[in-house]
Amino acid sequence: MPFVKRDVTARAPAGGQPADDTVPHADLAPHIAALGSPDIEVRWSAARALGGRADAVPALTTALGVEQVARVREAIMTALMRVGDEASVVALLPYLRSQDAAERGASIEALQALPGAILPFMAPLLADGDSDVRLLATELARNMPAEDATQLLCRLLEREQHPNVCAAAIDVLAEVGTLDAVPALEACAERFAGTPFLPFAVSVAIARISDTDR
Amino acid sequence: MTDVERATTPSRRRILVVDDSALVRLYYRDTLERAGFEVEQAINGIEAMEKVLAQPFDLAIVDVNMPRMDGFSFLRTLRRSATDVATLPALVITTEAGEQDLDAARAAGANFYLVKPVSQQDLVRHAAALSGAPT
Amino acid sequence: MAGSEPRRPRGVRVTQEDVRRLCEFLYRRTGMLFDDNKRYYIDRRLVERIEATKSESFPAYFAILRSDADHEIEQLINAFTVNETYFNREEHQLRCMTSDLLGNVIRGKRPGESIRIWSIPCSSGEEPYSIAIWLMENWRLVDSYNIEIVGSDIDTRALKAAGEGVYGARALMRLSRDVIGRYFQPGADGEHRIDPGLRESIQFTRANLIDPSEMARYRGFDIIFCRNVLIYFDDSSRRIAAENLYDCLAAGGYICLGHSETMSRISPLFRVCRFSDAIVYQRPESDHDGR
Repeated sequence: MPFVKRDVTARAPAGGQPADDTVPHADLAPHIAALGSPDIEVRWSAARALGGRADAVPALTTALGVEQVARVREAIMTALMRVGDEASVVALLPYLRSQDAAERGASIEALQALPGAILPFMAPLLADGDSDVRLLATELARNMPAEDATQLLCRLLEREQHPNVCAAAIDVLAEVGTLDAVPALEACAERFAGTPFLPFAVSVAIARISDTDR
Repeated sequence: MTDVERATTPSRRRILVVDDSALVRLYYRDTLERAGFEVEQAINGIEAMEKVLAQPFDLAIVDVNMPRMDGFSFLRTLRRSATDVATLPALVITTEAGEQDLDAARAAGANFYLVKPVSQQDLVRHAAALSGAPT
Repeated sequence: MAGSEPRRPRGVRVTQEDVRRLCEFLYRRTGMLFDDNKRYYIDRRLVERIEATKSESFPAYFAILRSDADHEIEQLINAFTVNETYFNREEHQLRCMTSDLLGNVIRGKRPGESIRIWSIPCSSGEEPYSIAIWLMENWRLVDSYNIEIVGSDIDTRALKAAGEGVYGARALMRLSRDVIGRYFQPGADGEHRIDPGLRESIQFTRANLIDPSEMARYRGFDIIFCRNVLIYFDDSSRRIAAENLYDCLAAGGYICLGHSETMSRISPLFRVCRFSDAIVYQRPESDHDGR
């Protein structure tokens, strides 16, 4: 047999990462220091080792602000997502406004996994002065319970002037909306009767909702 | 389509529609299929790469904002590809038409752009032109 | 079948719009596409799951599915995928390995160096043994390198079975008589046992994909087969597993997913690579390559 069998379990972990996921409190400091290393791999390992550590959120937030390498940025966001508390949501929120599409997408992904933690922030986000932020925020309602998502998105639809923001809200409602969404949807279709796509989107969403929710 | 029909009908142009919104994809698919195109879909740039590498297409219609791999990243990856997919025509759908956005679209390798929401006529007209279909 | 509805389970009505909603949800989450031709297939499974979860209505069931309560997404997917494991399942990926992947892998290696291949989850061993047999049967350079094959799973019972290496006729259905004759010994009740030499060559270990400390022991793999497990993880676990797998791969190393799986629903860390037999994913050679 040309195959070699080595004892994998005897292999020491690479990159100086400890063989224990729960980094003891006293050991936080070296990883936090490593977040500032000039070596990409060291920063990457540090971000991953700090995943889920609430006391590392300030350090992770700072690191996120200066990180240039996409995969390390995403690892820091994953680490924050794993904490999932209000502080980590606050750390992730600014990236909804990023000029970089990849960075915006990464922050949405991380925040989408925290429907409970993001709930208190939804109303202000959906009322943000920047239409791009409002648009992205609709996506955050997708993983919420149907009643919460419906209420938040209907309130948005009632006053929203930007067709693409409405379109994004309607897409989420088509998946999770309850019957309560129908009036706001119908009003939206009327308001945007001459705009491409929106009347179509509303009719599909209403068909999904009316037929499903009975 | 029967085998006889397929043999005697000019092959339909194939379009890949890439957008993370299910309703947008449905809208594009309905519109383009009624206009005689064959349509496949993808929800982000990674799936789009998988599909263009697996099957031939005449055009990709690509939204800019998608999670995991956005439209511009997809285009850059596409244009850098070593295979003939690198020259696949791409119609980019943006939300804004400012100088910056158009420069970015051109730099990423888009052949043309439209601003959403896109009308059915615009969609069909540009899809036909860019995919080389007879208009 | 336009306009007709599937049979009603104990009075729970399922409409065309319900099925569309479900299919869009599944497509977004998993990449599995059920067009109108395949809708009937979903209808039946949906009815099964509504009954199994004792849901009073489709909306009630859909709420369970969306929240993934009790791993309902996994239950639903399992209801319409065949999860049987057998030798040379997804043979096209094995072919891709010998036709394309290994050629690239050895470019950076001298003869005699190690090639590390990982099957995770390996279940009861069919996959890692298939890889070993395939290499011996199909790769002319199999003796020129130190090939290390590791099979890992979270299920210690399956690992024990893998170590035993005993399989029924059904698991061997894709193998020719010649191959069976070369690598198996016949046993009782039509079963076959992997030759001791081959059994001894594969290392079986317990590993949990989302545990960074366990995964930290695995580094420098050239090819990882990670099939039909990530599709069941929630978004958070998928990200963590993807980061772990990235760390386990050598730069330029390849990862193969199950045929219904796609990295588009998992992680942006990997490059999409198209070969004649399969689409596989690659850890970029460097951070500025391919992303």
